[in-house]
Amino acid sequence: MFNRDFTEAFLRNKGAVVGLVIVAAILLLAAFADVIFPGDPWDMAGAPFTHPLDDGMLFGSDMLGRDIASGIAHGARVSLLIGLTSTVVAVAAGVLLGALAGFHGGRIDDAIMRFTELFQTIPNFVLVVVIVAIFTPSLFSIVVAIALVSWAPLARLVRGEFLALRSREFVQAAITCGQSNAAIIFRQILPNCLSPIIVSASLMVATAILLESSLSFLGLGDPNAMSWGFMVGSARTVLRQAWWMSFFPGVAILLTVLGLNLVGEGLNDAFNPRLRRKRKA
Amino acid sequence: MTETAAPLLEIKGLTVALPDGADRDFAVEKIDYTLNPDEILCIVGESGSGKSVTAHAIMGLLPKPDLRIAAGGILYRGRNIVTMSDAEQRKLRGHRIAMIFPEPMTALTPLMRIGAQIEEALSIHTDIDRTARTARVVEMLAAVGLPNPEEIRKSYPFRLSGGQRQRVMIAMALALKPDILIADEPTTALDVTTQKQILDLIKEIQREQRMAVLFITHDFGVVAEIADRVAVMRHGRVVEIGAAAEVLNRPQHPYTRELIGSLPHGRADDGPKFVPEGDPLIAATDVHKVYRIAGTRVGGARTLVVSDHVHLTIHPGETVGLVGESGSGKSTLARTIVGLVKPDGGRVDFEGADLLSLDRDAFRPYRRHVQMVFQDPYASLNPRHKVGEIIAQGPVAFGMDKAEARARARDLLALVGLDASAADRYPHEFSGGQRQRVSIARALAMEPKLLIADEPVSALDASVQAQVLDLLAEIKAKLNLAMLFITHDLRIAAQICDTVGVMKLGKIVEIGPAAEVFGHPKDAYTKSLLEAIPGQGWTPPATRAGGS
Repeated sequence: MFNRDFTEAFLRNKGAVVGLVIVAAILLLAAFADVIFPGDPWDMAGAPFTHPLDDGMLFGSDMLGRDIASGIAHGARVSLLIGLTSTVVAVAAGVLLGALAGFHGGRIDDAIMRFTELFQTIPNFVLVVVIVAIFTPSLFSIVVAIALVSWAPLARLVRGEFLALRSREFVQAAITCGQSNAAIIFRQILPNCLSPIIVSASLMVATAILLESSLSFLGLGDPNAMSWGFMVGSARTVLRQAWWMSFFPGVAILLTVLGLNLVGEGLNDAFNPRLRRKRKA
Repeated sequence: MTETAAPLLEIKGLTVALPDGADRDFAVEKIDYTLNPDEILCIVGESGSGKSVTAHAIMGLLPKPDLRIAAGGILYRGRNIVTMSDAEQRKLRGHRIAMIFPEPMTALTPLMRIGAQIEEALSIHTDIDRTARTARVVEMLAAVGLPNPEEIRKSYPFRLSGGQRQRVMIAMALALKPDILIADEPTTALDVTTQKQILDLIKEIQREQRMAVLFITHDFGVVAEIADRVAVMRHGRVVEIGAAAEVLNRPQHPYTRELIGSLPHGRADDGPKFVPEGDPLIAATDVHKVYRIAGTRVGGARTLVVSDHVHLTIHPGETVGLVGESGSGKSTLARTIVGLVKPDGGRVDFEGADLLSLDRDAFRPYRRHVQMVFQDPYASLNPRHKVGEIIAQGPVAFGMDKAEARARARDLLALVGLDASAADRYPHEFSGGQRQRVSIARALAMEPKLLIADEPVSALDASVQAQVLDLLAEIKAKLNLAMLFITHDLRIAAQICDTVGVMKLGKIVEIGPAAEVFGHPKDAYTKSLLEAIPGQGWTPPATRAGGS
């Protein structure tokens, strides 16, 4: 699936390339945080309330004198880690349950959908807060909590796609060719609903990063990990005196979410052979 | 009778440009024709020939900004519509020139009563009062032969069938007594008996009101039925225009000859008759299936009998045709035999084993013996898989080595008349006819004993239709396959089937040798179907090269 045509189609999309550059930059920043900003981001690096570019600190310092730039670099790790892992877990669960419900229909569908509704009726953020509060804030509990509230809409989406595709003639042809259910689900139907899955997965990474930021903002983040949400949250009281403390982490969140969305859209276009041809013509 | 008055509508050098990147520069190019009062002019052509674009240009319905009129004029009684202001155009539209659309199911606003929809045009273009309008609506509904016009006036569109809706569309178009009626494939979506009624109605109203009708169709049978004059279009140009009798019986242009030649022509000779020998390959006995439509609190549950204790046998090498109108249960029966639909009862015996009594795993070995070619060439191939892979999947599922299956896929592509390089391309790179060939190759990859073809050519243009039918006949003869061929088109059934079964409301009302059923129909329904075939008074001239 990821052949040369695909890469070409993806690279021809300017927005996708910009998104890829942003995401790659943030990934690099996260990977080399220790090299660029050695030392603990929680340590005091200079005088509190240092303006950006003063004292050799690119983005200034916060009210305890911690280097904002260092915090952003280290925070990128937490944000990306939580965003990606929780999305992977949620997509796996959502696709599997949605595919089973949509493909089999009937009672299996009813059972899975009632279970899904259970999660959809509880307000997301409240559930996340409750789960994290019960299991004590840690990277693991945050990932689990975010995945638990994110899979349900995806399961519905995948179910809808499967319901529509199940009755298509190429699926019926596969049945008459004697292909197994697993082959039909994963080789015939799933590739045809990848585009919406990928688009919503890229949005889910973004939402997960926002959820994590909100948790940290409320002080429910992993206490050992520096995170963007925590930085915005702790700086909110001094927003009018020291705009940079919340501005730069906020921009980091914005860029990451934007980059992920652009990449998702680019993947979507490149996955679709018909759109791919249109661009060539 | 057509050349006496000045032309009502004159198309002069009309050129409509397509947006950049389309497969040709112009949708229609420098076309000229005239429409005289009191005549029916048929525009015939295959899909993409630009026949509808012309009609839409006349009605100002071209999708802006993609399609625009690049040159030429459309003259209505000498006045150029193209250069008119929008307000002037609106005055003409609906009032002097009216149009009916191909798809009656979607051409009416679902949330407005029928009467209100017809009245709309009346209240815009005339100043008659409410009671007069209502009276006119009822009069029109009666004129198009709808029962209970008063009742229908107050109904919503969903209560009416396709044929009734098309009648409403005609009533709406005629409410203001237009000079010109443009009918864009008005019967394509309808069953053959309904088609006949609508054609008769259009003809009758045309004669009564002496208006001009521009009738767009792809079906030469319909042309023969209704046309005074014919214009044949291809690739955006009018290739031939003339009196109907002239064009139909003495076509001049090679393309017209090709089109007429590709019409299903029935059996050329009464050649070797098929005589069933030995045990049947497959025997469906007493198959019944009822769909239960879940009721609402108001409505209560309904049932729909789609298979009413049907018996059908197919012998090796036999082609059995199932004909009938939509909803008669032909497809359900086919899908039951291929194992896609589980019937409520009955037996389907295949070489002695009752397929219906088998569970999923036990049924699987039989799957390869019965294969199916589906109706819609655009939906029956997985758009994400390459053609070679699509053909190889079935054999691989039955344990064939992947490389071997791929190699065989290439052979099969050659068998169905496609280049072996097609294996490495995606379905979207092929035309409808080519896709249907791929579909056939996929079915053949399983080396089936019975091939079920569910309306395999109904989505294709006439010339492509003929090619695919020839291919099916050729392959069938070469591999000695049995075939169950489902179609709504009796002309096609007559051409390729040994045995024909006529279905109505889930029952086979008549079954027998094709020549017998079509030559001497016994059942009243079969007779009415045969009578409804358009263009029976016309025998296409034998122009087809080679007669294959």
